[in-house]
Amino acid sequence: MKKLILIFFSLLLICLIKSPAPLGAEDTNTSKKEAEAIGDGDLPIAIQGIIKEKFSYELRLLTYGSYLSPATSTQNPGNNFLKLQSYEADLEVRPDLRLNLEFLTLSAKPRMLFEKKIWEIGAMDGNSKSRDDWFINEWLARLKVSENIFFSYGRENLQWGPSYLFSPSNPFFTDNGRNNPKREVPGMDFARLVIIPESSWTVSLITNTDEGRNITDSPVSFSKSFALKVDYTGRENYGSIILSHREDSTEKLGMFGGSTVSDAFIIYGEGSVAKSSRALYPVEDGSPFGASMKRIHSEDSDLKPVLLAGGSYTFLSGGTLTLEYVYNGSGYSDSEAENYYGLRRRAAEAFSSGSQLSGLSRLILSETFNTGHRFLRKNYSLLQYNHNDIQDTLDFTFRLTHNLDDSSFQFIAIGGYSLGDHLELFSVITINSGRGDSEFGSLVKSQVMAGIEYTF
Amino acid sequence: MRNKKLNPYLICFVTILSLSVFSAPGFSAAPSSKEILEKSDQARGNVEGVEWEIEMSSVEEGRQQERTIKVTARDFNSLAEFIAPSNVKGQKILMIDRNMWFVKPGLSKAVPISPRQKLMGGASNGDIASTNYAGDYQVVEASEEIVNGEPCYLFDLGANDKKVTYDRIKYWISKARMVGVKAEFFTVSGKMFKTAVFEYGNTISLNGKPRSFISKMTITNAVMKNDVTTMLYKKALVKKVPDSTFNLNLLLK
Repeated sequence: MKKLILIFFSLLLICLIKSPAPLGAEDTNTSKKEAEAIGDGDLPIAIQGIIKEKFSYELRLLTYGSYLSPATSTQNPGNNFLKLQSYEADLEVRPDLRLNLEFLTLSAKPRMLFEKKIWEIGAMDGNSKSRDDWFINEWLARLKVSENIFFSYGRENLQWGPSYLFSPSNPFFTDNGRNNPKREVPGMDFARLVIIPESSWTVSLITNTDEGRNITDSPVSFSKSFALKVDYTGRENYGSIILSHREDSTEKLGMFGGSTVSDAFIIYGEGSVAKSSRALYPVEDGSPFGASMKRIHSEDSDLKPVLLAGGSYTFLSGGTLTLEYVYNGSGYSDSEAENYYGLRRRAAEAFSSGSQLSGLSRLILSETFNTGHRFLRKNYSLLQYNHNDIQDTLDFTFRLTHNLDDSSFQFIAIGGYSLGDHLELFSVITINSGRGDSEFGSLVKSQVMAGIEYTF
Repeated sequence: MRNKKLNPYLICFVTILSLSVFSAPGFSAAPSSKEILEKSDQARGNVEGVEWEIEMSSVEEGRQQERTIKVTARDFNSLAEFIAPSNVKGQKILMIDRNMWFVKPGLSKAVPISPRQKLMGGASNGDIASTNYAGDYQVVEASEEIVNGEPCYLFDLGANDKKVTYDRIKYWISKARMVGVKAEFFTVSGKMFKTAVFEYGNTISLNGKPRSFISKMTITNAVMKNDVTTMLYKKALVKKVPDSTFNLNLLLK
């Protein structure tokens, strides 16, 4: 596989060296000459002409370092369970390649990653690990069957919906990638049929054929899903309904919509309703820890709504303030949260003591870590302020997410400082606050990532 | 009562005079203000399908910034793709009438944005879109004025609702060319915050007839007079633009 990717990158390099200016930047006279050459039947020049006109790319080189301070919590006692690294240094090469022909669109996002991690706290203290990873995070082949019908297959990061916090209407991805825009969401394999019956309406049939690179430790293992998505876009509003079915028989109705209320103010909403949940819930029982994590709602017929409402206002100065509220109907109630943290505490004690129950405690801690919930509790708010292009160089985003049930919060600051046309300094700072038995206080106390991005 | 006989010479004279007057170039029923606005909208991009490149250059507080954007537009929808410089290449702004989304390489999903969000310098996102003055504004007051020696209609435009980019626009339209040559933009409080001057060096073919098309727009900050954003419109091409161009589901990130 690595060899194949190496060949791919070599070809890419040749393309980049041989390649003309990006799409749109070519000289008109040259295009005419090529058109003539195409007409003359000179195949290599004709192909070169097509590539020149239809091929486009972006190539980014990122190098960054990060420091992470693990939280002191029962989820990760002494950092011996999750073994979070203290330092990480990465170098990533990210080319995005596209070939847009009349009836066929091809795209690929091959990636090269070199990474070194160093541990300073917990069982891995003093250790370091290096690795390199070569992979294609996303690729796509899309056929234009007719002017209004498109069929595609490929590995995609298929995201939709207007919200920042998360996208409950999306049955395929739980991470929308907004917490750290410098880390890419791993792609999943999709087949899609997109039909545009008229300009305001779109109907999509979507199925995820494989988990692709989106492999998670979640107890909700991969299962094929089929979705019917209907989109409407009006003059100053839009809305979508997504009806999905998982092969293991979970049905979900997702929806989102938004409206441009004025030149400066937009409002939106997103949500989902599911009959059952495959997530884990704490249940008191006769097990050694007095409770265990179980799928108690997998056969339910009562509806569990997740509703998000939000709005953004752009000030004349250019900054935008965003506010979101989420009601997460499938999240833990107060009593369930009490059971959850109680179970986690007992499992952590057994894990730390190395008693006979340490094997079971490890299982419990992995279940409490991967519950299958995107958010643990029921009520959340998000407050965000972002301002781009300050003095033509500075972009920043401050985001505060508040768990209204346990009062823990997460603060994220994303900044970018442009040094000319190619170079950008960036940083992503995450600070979590809350007790050890709160959602945002459970894993990471703080994390600082800083680096440089060079765009060719 | 005596029957008065009509003079056939007089009838011929009146008929010929009428025909020559009504068929004279430039004579027709005076166009309505809406028709004038529609024609001037066409010259600024509001046609059935058009593609062009905008070279933007802004000077703000002494700092200079440049962008090149490829715009594909139809009616009031447009897709703007940044093609230079390198650090913004691949960014896209999709505008479906007043709904707008921003797409950036590396960013997982499209972000809904408001028309007010700044594009660059003194230009808002709304400024690169096809403008719809005829649909979004009504003529509150009409008069005439000479601009650079050219007789112009002067329309004082008031927004039909609070949803548009500018609350009030003073708009000068050349009477001979039916193109907007100058505009002043006002906030809700009545304060002028920017002015724009338009040039029409491009020509497109519309319904088989050549039509002047925008080639340059110069936006000047009303307060900081040295803050100027220039948009040069190049490679204008009228073409059929399908619905799929403006479909968020098909937009490659």
